[in-house]
Amino acid sequence: MASEPFFSKPVVPSEQGTSQPKIEGPEAQLSASSGVVSHMSSLAVERDVLGMGAMAGLNGEAAGPGSDAEVMLRVKAGDDGAFDYLVQKYRRAMVSFMYRTAHSSAIAEDLAQEVFLRVYRSRETYEASAKFTTWLYRIATNLAVNYTRDTRHERPENTVSLDEPDENSGQTPDVADGTPTAEEAILQRERLAAIRQRVQALPERQRLAVLMHKYQHMDYRQIAEVLKLSESATKSLLFRAYETLRVQLKEFL
Amino acid sequence: MNCNEIRERMPDLVLGMDAATPELHQHLQTCRECAARMAEVRQTMVLLDEWAAPEPSPYFDVRLRARLREEAASAPAGWMQWFRKPALAVSLAVLMVASVTFFRGGNDGRSGNVPEVLAIAEPGSAVGDLQNLDKNHELLYSDFDVLDELQVQPEVNQNP
Ligand SMILES: [Zn+2]
Repeated sequence: MASEPFFSKPVVPSEQGTSQPKIEGPEAQLSASSGVVSHMSSLAVERDVLGMGAMAGLNGEAAGPGSDAEVMLRVKAGDDGAFDYLVQKYRRAMVSFMYRTAHSSAIAEDLAQEVFLRVYRSRETYEASAKFTTWLYRIATNLAVNYTRDTRHERPENTVSLDEPDENSGQTPDVADGTPTAEEAILQRERLAAIRQRVQALPERQRLAVLMHKYQHMDYRQIAEVLKLSESATKSLLFRAYETLRVQLKEFL
Repeated sequence: MNCNEIRERMPDLVLGMDAATPELHQHLQTCRECAARMAEVRQTMVLLDEWAAPEPSPYFDVRLRARLREEAASAPAGWMQWFRKPALAVSLAVLMVASVTFFRGGNDGRSGNVPEVLAIAEPGSAVGDLQNLDKNHELLYSDFDVLDELQVQPEVNQNP
């Protein structure tokens, strides 16, 4: 085990040229993730669907040069700087993924850190047989599943709407939107509570699939790999999940 | 292309992960139900966007670094963690009992004792498990098993 502090050196993973050393905003990842979103159809929402910048699933195919799998192989070989690179690249995605599971930013950070700890612990047995992100999200979904099970009794559905109005980056969403009236703020909070509640009430795999598809912008194929399902099963899983959400959230549409 | 096929594609179409074909456009222009559904799916996605997640805090890296160090520091004593696995704890306990018995047996001077004790230590589980642990896989395996269990559940059919 290397004794140097982690994160000490600025890291550039090999001589790739394609992947970004650091993901600061959605744009960086968008450009790095070729193709998949290049043909926004005319039907696509105008909204910034990539706003979370969590396009984590879309690059780093197999173990090619500059891929994340290749970076992970360097971690395996003892390069802690390479590990730092992966942390910087995916911590945002992991925190947001865990936030929508744990629903508290402190717990989300803990869980996200646990993901990286597991990545690091498992480095010696890492095989680049799958995309790095598939492996990463498997670890994350396992943790999310365990967390949900362990805390199920602590989170009765009707408490969900009452907590942490200012959980997002320390400021209330209300403030960010200018100065909504009190009623607007209440409605907004109700909407948000309903969204959380409905998503979190989905059957486990549907919920995980929605988190990865809607919020991490992963495609069917990759979600299927993470969940060890067929692509068509994943597709129908997501279809049913979105149907449920559409129907249950209808009053807010 | 029928209505169901199109509806299955709507989430991806709305999220920009699928491209609309002319055929699909045409269907939406002629099929009211699908057009209405499409609008709802789009609105649902927009609504779901309201659930924003926070950025990692400034302490994220610091905390992670600390946890990594902590773990590195406690690595020599890492074998203690094996006791968290019940099967292993039992295996190791058997091994220890066997060892004690072995030494006692040795002091006894009764030669017949030795093979018997070896047979107890033999079951191999302790050694086998230790070897497995060398591969450092166990952290993931236990969790994957949990996920695998999930997939057996017929949850797929729960939502009509
Ligand atoms: Zn139709």
